[in-house]
Amino acid sequence: MPMYGDQGNKLVQHAKRMQNLAHLPPYQTELVRAVTREVRDLDKDVASLLEPFQGSFDPSADQSTACTLLVNHLSMRRNKRCLLAYHRTRTNKLEELVWNGSDVLDLAGQQAGGGANGATAAADGGASSSLSPQEEDYVRQYGDLLAAYKGQWTDIDLTGSLEPPRDLFIDVRVLKDAGEIQTEYGAINLTKNSQFYVRQGDVERLIAQGYLQKLG
Amino acid sequence: MSYYDIDSILTDAEKIPCTFQLDIPDLGYLDNTPKQPLKAGTKVNLPLWLAEMLVIANTGGPDNKTFVTFDLPRALGNDVVQALKADPRAVPLRDQSAHFYGLATHMMDLSEEQELGSVLRKTFVTRAAEISLHARKVGGVSTKGKGKEEGSNLGIGGAGEEFLRGLDEWERKLFRKAHDGAKSGKEWMDSIKKN
Repeated sequence: MPMYGDQGNKLVQHAKRMQNLAHLPPYQTELVRAVTREVRDLDKDVASLLEPFQGSFDPSADQSTACTLLVNHLSMRRNKRCLLAYHRTRTNKLEELVWNGSDVLDLAGQQAGGGANGATAAADGGASSSLSPQEEDYVRQYGDLLAAYKGQWTDIDLTGSLEPPRDLFIDVRVLKDAGEIQTEYGAINLTKNSQFYVRQGDVERLIAQGYLQKLG
Repeated sequence: MSYYDIDSILTDAEKIPCTFQLDIPDLGYLDNTPKQPLKAGTKVNLPLWLAEMLVIANTGGPDNKTFVTFDLPRALGNDVVQALKADPRAVPLRDQSAHFYGLATHMMDLSEEQELGSVLRKTFVTRAAEISLHARKVGGVSTKGKGKEEGSNLGIGGAGEEFLRGLDEWERKLFRKAHDGAKSGKEWMDSIKKN
């Protein structure tokens, strides 16, 4: 029996599954739309139920209408809670990713590109990111905020690793082309599949962003 | 229990049996008959988020009725309570409800079941001890995992597996915390010894 609130429940189940995942699953555009549509329909029902009373509705005189109104109201409230919780779980995850220094926007594009083959990716067009446009905006602005906050302490890297390094130098393998970087010991050209012995401090960012892989 | 808490939202989706106390023309869909009115006395399973308010809300009529009355869900029925009294560890709570304790807490807010509270308290305490026991054992298997020890641990693990499968959502969290705690404690001790 389909009922009001069922769609919202599905959304929350998505959120529940998301809590145990390292990456962010695709945004449930369709479900979110279905839930908001449900709220709008309910609101319309309430309006048409109340219309004949011209603003002077007496709940004790018309108990069955009062009950219907209460059920409609509760369903809307439930949907609102589901929507908010779903989005909050996602933004929490996004904030976490930003703090970890992973390139969220880049990551999203990649996952979608890797998962779908050429044909479906082309069919999806621009909507192949696992983030909603609003979420992309949020990540960008949150990233700016974090950068501004970090800018106050130039000699401390707030998003750096909390683990003290065991060795000053480490072996890394290049996973994606990252261009040339400048280090104390001169420039290194990071081309895919090459291997380097570098100072950990110089490449920490690149490891976090997934360009390099630490070996050993 | 925050507004945004995913588990609390899912708990609110658990259904309880309710009986409507008056005819309501527009709510037929709740009983799967959208075209017909909902008759007084109809029994419908309603999710907690809906039932909770309908049970409390007063119709405002002269007889001071509520819109619906409710019964305890089967998960908290007499059979289950008797089984819990006999041996809390032998009941797979998850089969009753994935959010067993959450559901029970809600029901106790709504009803005046005196006995239920004490039975549940005893259930949790007994099971929590068992959970902590299993949590430590699992850590032992994964970190040592060799020789005779593995054999003996797996033996107990096999029997425990069924118990662990019957944990409700809250107990699962407890299990994970106990397991992770024991594991990181052990890891820390090992790293101290090494250095």
